[in-house]
Amino acid sequence: MPLDIEMLNFLDSPNFVSLAALEVGQHFYWHIGSLKVHGQVFLATWFVMSVLIVASLLATRNIQQIPKGMQNLMEYAMDFIRELTRNQIGEKEYRPWVPFIGTLFLFIFVCNWSGALIPWKLIHLPEGELAAPTNDINTTVALSLLVSIAYFYAGFKKKGLGYFAKYVQPTPILLPIAVLEDFTKPLSLSFRLFGNILADELVVGVLVLLVPLFVPLPVMLLGLFTSAIQALVFATLAGAYIHEALEGHGDEHEEEHA
Amino acid sequence: MGIFLQLANQSNLLASEMASSAMAESAGEGFGLNLDIFEANVVNLAIVIGILVYFGRGFLSSTLGNRSAAIEKALNEAEVKRAEMAKLLATQQEKLKSATAEAAGIVAKADGDAQKASQAILTAAAEEVARMKQESSANLDAEQAKILNELRVRIAELAMAKAESQIPARLNDASQQTLIDRSISLLGGQ
Repeated sequence: MPLDIEMLNFLDSPNFVSLAALEVGQHFYWHIGSLKVHGQVFLATWFVMSVLIVASLLATRNIQQIPKGMQNLMEYAMDFIRELTRNQIGEKEYRPWVPFIGTLFLFIFVCNWSGALIPWKLIHLPEGELAAPTNDINTTVALSLLVSIAYFYAGFKKKGLGYFAKYVQPTPILLPIAVLEDFTKPLSLSFRLFGNILADELVVGVLVLLVPLFVPLPVMLLGLFTSAIQALVFATLAGAYIHEALEGHGDEHEEEHA
Repeated sequence: MGIFLQLANQSNLLASEMASSAMAESAGEGFGLNLDIFEANVVNLAIVIGILVYFGRGFLSSTLGNRSAAIEKALNEAEVKRAEMAKLLATQQEKLKSATAEAAGIVAKADGDAQKASQAILTAAAEEVARMKQESSANLDAEQAKILNELRVRIAELAMAKAESQIPARLNDASQQTLIDRSISLLGGQ
């Protein structure tokens, strides 16, 4: 769907000054070999990465027994992530997955909030515009494919080829649906995140275009909320999928509890 | 959508002309700063950030303060408990040391007592042996003396009996005459 809209003050009269521009589907292309990549996404991603890295460095630079300031904040985030992972994957298996789920959550969260809080449009690119990296489908597809790889890895590591038993476990009739699930999981993950963030930024953009001051505020606050929720949802679902792959259906479950 | 696109395209052309004439530095190619405050949504973002900071700061600082305080409290409690335990350990070790010393004393005393007792028993036994030896030797002497006495008495009796039996044979007139004669000659018959 090649949307290519540039809306500049569509009341097309010389008396009206151009107020704002909204660009969808325009990208600041970089050519790497035969690939065309979206440069603005890279720039924003690098920014998010550096924010996270700097925060981690600041938090771990001077570790105290009684945490203060940045260390305390990051430990609080860490507790939150560990709790989330434990709730999804369960006490027994959750520990190795905390870094993965935590990275997903923090990255998506900071991406979303950077899109909602930072006046990216102050920086002018030759083409396209800076925004949250998660409003580009490529980012979210990459993230959700990582989740797919992670849960397949979890399943195979735990059960070997016995992992495939889960496809026919309650009844072989559901085999097609079970196979389909492996495709719908990354699809739904990526589209949910991408759709929410892009929609939020578009709504804000359109409102800003129409009424520049104050009217977009409720939507922006709502967008902040949605962004946080989407990060949480993505991390939670990743944990849930990994848990599903680890647990499987039926008898193994019973054995574990016996 | 189509009409929008058309409008957009037209306005695009127009606006790009306007923009290029008005703000040459922002609408051109390449990187740059877009200083249009309304387009960049700076005011709203500032308000949103302000709201976020205003409400978030209180919540965050109280949460983090509580967390830090809880950790500090837990650490302090653990420290206090550790000190208590160390004290307890020290007193118990002291007790252990004194008990060990006491045990060693008891063992030493018992050793001494045993030594003494064995010494006493040995001495008593030796005395007893000596006494018994002496007693037996005394008995033996007494017995010997008694037997000797008896033998003497018996020999005397036998000698007397023999002498008495010989008296009648020896004491006759002839021998008495001879004896008297000899005695007279001895006195001075010479």
